[in-house]
Amino acid sequence: MLPTTDRFKKGAKETLADPVIQMSMEAVYTGFHTNRQSAGSATEDWDGQRDRGRAIKEHTIANLDYYLEMLTDKIDGNGGNVFFAEDSAAATEYILNLARARDVKTVIKSKSMVSEEMSLAHEMEAVGIEAVETDLGEYIIQLAGEAPYHIIAPAIHKSQDQVAEMFSEMTGTDPGQTPEELTTTARGVLRETFQRADMSVTGVNFAVAESGSIVLVTNEGNGRMCTSIPRVHVAVMGMEKIVPSMQDLGMMLRILIRSATGQRISSYVTMINGPRRDEEEDGPEEFHLVIVDNGRMKLLADPKLREALYCLRCGACLNACPVYRKVGGHSYGWVYPGPIGAVVSPVMSGLQQGKDLPFASSLCGACREVCPVRIDIPNMLLHLRQKVVEGPPEERNIGRIERLGWKAWRFGNMNSNRFHAGGKIAHFLGWPFARKGMFSRLPPPLSGWTRSRDLPIPASSPFRDRFKKRQSGGGE
Amino acid sequence: MGITGRDVFLGRVRDALGRSPGAPELDGATHIGLAVEDVRRSADDVRREMSESGDALLDAITESAAMAGWKVRRVASPEDAADVVAEICSEAGATNVLRSDQDVFASIPVDAALESKGISPGVATVGGAGDDIPTLKQAAFDADVGITGVDYAIAETGTVVLHPRKGLSRLVSLAPGRHIAILNWGDVLPSLDELFTLERADFNDDAIHGSMNLISGPSRTGDIAAKIVEGIHGPFEVHLVIVG
Repeated sequence: MLPTTDRFKKGAKETLADPVIQMSMEAVYTGFHTNRQSAGSATEDWDGQRDRGRAIKEHTIANLDYYLEMLTDKIDGNGGNVFFAEDSAAATEYILNLARARDVKTVIKSKSMVSEEMSLAHEMEAVGIEAVETDLGEYIIQLAGEAPYHIIAPAIHKSQDQVAEMFSEMTGTDPGQTPEELTTTARGVLRETFQRADMSVTGVNFAVAESGSIVLVTNEGNGRMCTSIPRVHVAVMGMEKIVPSMQDLGMMLRILIRSATGQRISSYVTMINGPRRDEEEDGPEEFHLVIVDNGRMKLLADPKLREALYCLRCGACLNACPVYRKVGGHSYGWVYPGPIGAVVSPVMSGLQQGKDLPFASSLCGACREVCPVRIDIPNMLLHLRQKVVEGPPEERNIGRIERLGWKAWRFGNMNSNRFHAGGKIAHFLGWPFARKGMFSRLPPPLSGWTRSRDLPIPASSPFRDRFKKRQSGGGE
Repeated sequence: MGITGRDVFLGRVRDALGRSPGAPELDGATHIGLAVEDVRRSADDVRREMSESGDALLDAITESAAMAGWKVRRVASPEDAADVVAEICSEAGATNVLRSDQDVFASIPVDAALESKGISPGVATVGGAGDDIPTLKQAAFDADVGITGVDYAIAETGTVVLHPRKGLSRLVSLAPGRHIAILNWGDVLPSLDELFTLERADFNDDAIHGSMNLISGPSRTGDIAAKIVEGIHGPFEVHLVIVG
């Protein structure tokens, strides 16, 4: 997917003005976030499990080459094939070549964020292979020609009416269908597609190094369809998605799923240990695992960003984030939105273009609070901000005027007299324009703030003066 | 794939980490360092617990399975279990019923109970309901109900565990609109952790299956207006018949 991370401010502005999306986004908080909170408190030793989950990821990523090699050997031993892809183009080429070599006509896809990095469905369609997204949310956005809005709920921004209208155009059904009726419509269309598919592409939630297994977590059952029906199964994973032992899986599944939807477990968890065995009744004849770098090496190489690779892609930080819930998923301009996206998207797809993303946060820490593996996202955002402002020229991206502005700001704040004088001047100059102590419209660049919220006028006298007065009995 | 590709890739990972090749020091975070004998001993402990706490675990899953969305029926005898299965099928108006070829059907007379309701079940195997894999697939998609046993169940999550193999198609519990699973006493595990202990012990003994499915309720989606709807791709109705 081509990054449009430079459109962040524009996208955010548009989304803030879109009442349908603002309404739809309520659900990520009232649904996912609230469910996650109760799932966490209902789980015995929840915080201890998160600590152990983090320790497993920390150990695995610190020794990633060792576990990747183990995984590869085991998959070879299980009769599967492994391909390492430096970037999304190499991964796409491998899969397209495989599809051609096996004379594949129809590919069914289950949800995979890495395949979104590759725009895989689109690339397949471009060479004449039918590629159908089968996660209902992904299916909806494929019909709409859009990118996912949320890591686990790709079509969360679409209202029921919008989906009903799309389905109506496609199948001629009544545009007033309920979610139940729409689901039945999709079930019919997709079951027919499943039956004739000759290849599937899935993501990977966990790969187990010691056994060469991959694990898929779904609620819909499309992951199971993809690993039961077609002749060829291709799984695509980011290189970080490993756990060392099968015995690590119980806890990792627990913290992933409870953080994602708040369920104790999803409807389906599927473990695949290579292609169908000879004596089995059904299942794919071939299994391929494509392990993708595509910019992850940059995260790995920076000790301050490395922990971004602990991410389980549960989406909890999105749901908790007051910024994501308002600016929406598309504003972030690449595959991964929200707080974790503000870290990984600019690094993986180009920091200079994505320079606004690390600033799309109030650093309130809600993301760190909910992360199942306690990733310190605010700290990484600060690190990236520093790179954008002070980093090497190829990463730095800040205009001369802005630089000058911040210099003036620093000058004003470095000395207490200047600071006090500044506050008083601002109050004096500002009060004719304020109403009830608030500015609601200011000229640029301050209009960026007042467009969507009010700014309180600086106090007439600073806190310290008032405090002193109070102490000496003056009161106020 | 070319081995060079792999080695170059792994070399880059090592460079990024500033690490030299070789096995890592284990800090106890992961279970990878557990010796084969230790895993086997833990697996033996798990199996002992499954029978020693059989009653309590069956009580626990009766509750957790219902929470996960299974329609749970608990019966005392194999004959009652077979009757309940037949009842569910006939109440659903099913004419096309498919079952796996698992041991459970030798002890629980499901076929006879179904026949008494005028339903003759197909067996979801190549050579049974299908001549080859494509016709077996067709049979699974055409069926109204799929019936299976249970390899394990998990009390923590209300989960049924199935290892696809000879006699147990991947699709029989997935493609029909309804799935009925029959659970016997002694097959319930306390939590996900015990399941993976047993799986790892099997893996160490070279006895791991090609795949494993954990099923916890019906197929679900929340992708339209965040409303939970059951039955998007897999079964919209799942029944757990507990014997004991």
